[in-house]
Amino acid sequence: MSTANETKPVGIDPRGPRFGATITNVLSIVIFFFALDSDPINQSAAYLLLVLAAALFAVGAFFGTSSHPYAWLYKKLVRPRLGAPKELEDPRPPQFAQAVGLFVAAVGIVLQAVGVTYGVAIAAAALFVATTLQAYFAYCLGCQIYLALKRSGIIRAS
Amino acid sequence: MPLEVKLVLFVALALLTIAAGLIWKARSGSANSVKAGESVDLGKLKAVKDGAPVSQFGHKVTFVQFSTEVCAQCRQTARLLGEVEAKHKDVLHLEVDVTNRLELAAHFKVLQTPTTLVLDSTGRVRSRIGGAPKPNVIAQELEKLEVN
Repeated sequence: MSTANETKPVGIDPRGPRFGATITNVLSIVIFFFALDSDPINQSAAYLLLVLAAALFAVGAFFGTSSHPYAWLYKKLVRPRLGAPKELEDPRPPQFAQAVGLFVAAVGIVLQAVGVTYGVAIAAAALFVATTLQAYFAYCLGCQIYLALKRSGIIRAS
Repeated sequence: MPLEVKLVLFVALALLTIAAGLIWKARSGSANSVKAGESVDLGKLKAVKDGAPVSQFGHKVTFVQFSTEVCAQCRQTARLLGEVEAKHKDVLHLEVDVTNRLELAAHFKVLQTPTTLVLDSTGRVRSRIGGAPKPNVIAQELEKLEVN
C-alpha cells in the first residue's frame, strides 16, 4: 500500500524501546538527585552513571536497539509475560532516539568536565524529559525533530 | 543543595514535562484548515503507488502523507490512511518519503512527520494535519469533502 521505505529492515517489538525508555527514565532521576547533592562522592557517582548511560546509548545508536542490553532484558523478562506484539515496528526510529540520547549525555559529560557546575544535572533533566515523553506519552523523537534537524543542516543528508 | 530544593526542582521539572506531554497529545493529529491552499503539482511530488508514478488525484480526497525513515508514527498513519482508502473508492492515499528530499519538505514547510495534507478533488490543499491523525479528525475531513 505505502510506497515509502521499500527496503524496510526487519521489524522489532515496539514495546521494547518503551521498556528501555522507562529504565533510562528512572536512571535519569537517580543521576539528577546525585548530581545536585553536596557530597562530592555522590556527585562523582552521578558523573559515572551518566558515562554509563552514554555507553548504553552508544550501543543502541551504533549497533541498533536489538543489540541493546535493555532489549535483552525485555526479551528475557517482560515479553514472555506479554505475548506476541500486535505489529512490528521499524527499528530506525528508536535507533535515532538512542543517538539523540548519546548526544545529550555526551554534552553533559563534557560540560561537567570543563567545569560547568550543573552539567550532569542539566543533561539528566533533559534525559528525564525525553524519556518521560517517550515512555508515557508515546512521543517519537524521530518523528518530531529528525526532519527539522536535517533541514537546518545539523544532521547531514545521507 | 538541600534535599527540599532538589525535590522542588524535580517536581517542577516533572510537572512541566507532563504538561508538555498532555498539550502535545491533545494537539498532535488535529487538522488545521488551509485558506487559499496551493494546488499540488503531482509532477513535482513524484509520488509512487504500487510501483507506478501517480498522475491523478483521488476523485474526492487525496491524503498526501510526508514520512521519513526514522518515524515510528508514520507507519501507523500509513496503515490508518490505507484502511480509509480501501473503504472509500473516492479517496487516494499517497505516502512520500522526504528523508532525502529536503527541497520538497521545505516547499511544504514540513518540520515533523507524519504531516498529512488533505487535498480536494482538484488537488488543492484544504487542511493540514501535523502528527499521527486522530481517526475522528479523518472522519471530519472526509465529511467536509463529501465522501460518504
